[in-house]
Amino acid sequence: MTTRPATLPVRGPGDRLSDLFWRRPRLLLALLIGPPLLWLGVVYLGSLFALLLQSFYSIDEFSGLVVPEFTLKTYAELIRPSNFDIILRTVMMAAAVTAGCIVIAFPIAYYAARYARGRWKAAFYLGVMLPLWSSYLVKVYAWKLILAKEGIVTWAAEGTHTSGILNALLSLPVIGGNSLSTSYIGTWIVFVYVWIPYMILPMQAALERVPTSMIEASSDLGASSGQTLRTVILPLALPGVVAGSIFTFSLTLGDYIIPQIVGSSRLFIGQAVYTLQGTAGNIPLAAAFAVVPIAVMLVYLAIAKRMGAFDAL
Amino acid sequence: MTAAVEFRNVTRHFGPVRAVDGVDLTIAEGSFFAMLGPSGSGKTTCLRLISGFDAPTSGEIRIFGEDSGHVPPNRRNVNTVFQDYALFPHMTVRDNVAYGLMVRGVDKATRRNKAEEMLSLVKLAGYGDRKPGQLSGGQRQRVALARALVNEPRVLLLDEPLGALDLKLRESMQDELKALQQRLGITFVFVTHDQGEALSMADQVAVFANGKVAQVGSPTDIYERPATKFVADFVGSSNVLPPALSRQFGGPDAWCSLRPEAIRVVEGAGQVTGTAGSARYLGAGTKLSVHLGRSEDMEISVVLPPGQAVPAPGTTVALQPMSGALHVMAGEK
Ligand SMILES: Nc1ncnc2c1ncn2[C@@H]1O[C@H](COP(=O)(O)OP(=O)(O)O)[C@@H](O)[C@H]1O
Ligand SMILES: [Mg+2]
Repeated sequence: MTTRPATLPVRGPGDRLSDLFWRRPRLLLALLIGPPLLWLGVVYLGSLFALLLQSFYSIDEFSGLVVPEFTLKTYAELIRPSNFDIILRTVMMAAAVTAGCIVIAFPIAYYAARYARGRWKAAFYLGVMLPLWSSYLVKVYAWKLILAKEGIVTWAAEGTHTSGILNALLSLPVIGGNSLSTSYIGTWIVFVYVWIPYMILPMQAALERVPTSMIEASSDLGASSGQTLRTVILPLALPGVVAGSIFTFSLTLGDYIIPQIVGSSRLFIGQAVYTLQGTAGNIPLAAAFAVVPIAVMLVYLAIAKRMGAFDAL
Repeated sequence: MTAAVEFRNVTRHFGPVRAVDGVDLTIAEGSFFAMLGPSGSGKTTCLRLISGFDAPTSGEIRIFGEDSGHVPPNRRNVNTVFQDYALFPHMTVRDNVAYGLMVRGVDKATRRNKAEEMLSLVKLAGYGDRKPGQLSGGQRQRVALARALVNEPRVLLLDEPLGALDLKLRESMQDELKALQQRLGITFVFVTHDQGEALSMADQVAVFANGKVAQVGSPTDIYERPATKFVADFVGSSNVLPPALSRQFGGPDAWCSLRPEAIRVVEGAGQVTGTAGSARYLGAGTKLSVHLGRSEDMEISVVLPPGQAVPAPGTTVALQPMSGALHVMAGEK
């Protein structure tokens, strides 16, 4: 009988390292998550904290210098009608964009999750991701041309004799305007276009996790397709919808380029921050504005949690 | 008696795969009907044809005499207990059970009462407020059963409902299911790949092989008088005898089946002689394999009664079938 050792020999430094990690699993964990944790803690949360701190400072009206003393003056300024309008406008737009994304993304995500197989699935991923690969600025400027008064949309409307519809849309109060590229409708269209992949993908992932047998069980018990959608599919897809809406909502809240290029030239939060910290040099007010999206998102998440959106996680 | 479900020359092809291939079946009302067969033999597909989640490529399925061709699943008075239970994770157990009533617009109070009644039927009274995720596998299985029964279906379909349970739980659920079926008088169509389960529970068993029905009959028929080699092999441990060997055993010139416990073993030479091989102790007897030499190079298994001494390997033994133990397999030519 050949004698074979009960323990195999160490073959080199690789084995020695893996032995060490096997004996002390926490060491490996620390090495793996240490650097990113440091990054998150210092750079990310640190700057967020600095931002929060700045918002409690104020600016000296005569010298234009920041007074590093704790005060709520800047927040009082934030809720002045002219500033509060900016907040309201931005939040409303973010909500409208999110709603638009949900409505448009759902059928696409549903198709991709339940029906697309093989080649069609690949086509779906490509179709959703492709727009993300091209430059954001190029897309926004392209949309400006598409939506302009002399643009493709106007031209197509004339060609199909639907100018009436377009004009009716543009004559709506507040959201209408001279042309699509100078109205809130235009801003909304571009926002929805740019952010919709961030809604489709999490929605599709959530819908994919709903087993077919669950939908069949619903139908088996007598539910119509509409009832199955409302009582089974939507509740189970809700975490995906919430995840997607966190993206679309917060991305819209923070964006300052789209409303500047396409829209009615009234300020959004992002633009306000941009001008306040730049030309105006009012860092505290800029910081206070920047805190708004964070606060809004926290409230949104709290509501979503209350509604049980994360129960199925 | 009316047929609850009738398959008339039903075929279902998936591309080149003939999942169901010319099946004719009659499932009597109020019976416990088992579809038995190895995995991939088309049992689930047959069940899905009854529930309406799949449609036959050709042929017709009648449910209580009506052609079901154009009736969607939600309008069939047939309910299913799914293999993975398919409970709705976001609803409480009570809401799961009451789901069938809810989608039919039954008022809340009635729904609640009926759901509680169903839960006590499956011995889960008091579990209504839990979520399915907080239940054990056996309890989830019962919830799935209660949910499928709440609409008082005329036919209940069960797709390997006990497959995920451990042996002990499975046996007690088998008894409960059988008792429940007898009490409610609903037609049960039960799919399983476990022959013991099918034989012990069902009134009628259909054995499936490659999308075809190899044999339909009572458990005794299937077990004692298998119609084909496949059934003999799959359902029990019957010995399959080719015509020449059947004749040696004193039977007709045809394929026959012979149960291992219906063979007497005597030491020494005789009508059919073989060499004792390995023995396996089964508790209620000992299973011995006997090698028939020369021309017919095959193993015959016999079960020795508890008292009998087990011949040592290599001993020459004679085999004698008990009278009437030899059965011609009508399905083999
Ligand atoms: N939707 C489907 N598409 C393609 N092939 C299928 C489909 N459903 C079942 N089959 C095939 O049909 C055969 C029978 O399947 P099934 O009815 O599930 O068998 P069982 O339930 O007896 O295990 C198998 O070969 C299976 O691969
Ligand atoms: Mg199956």
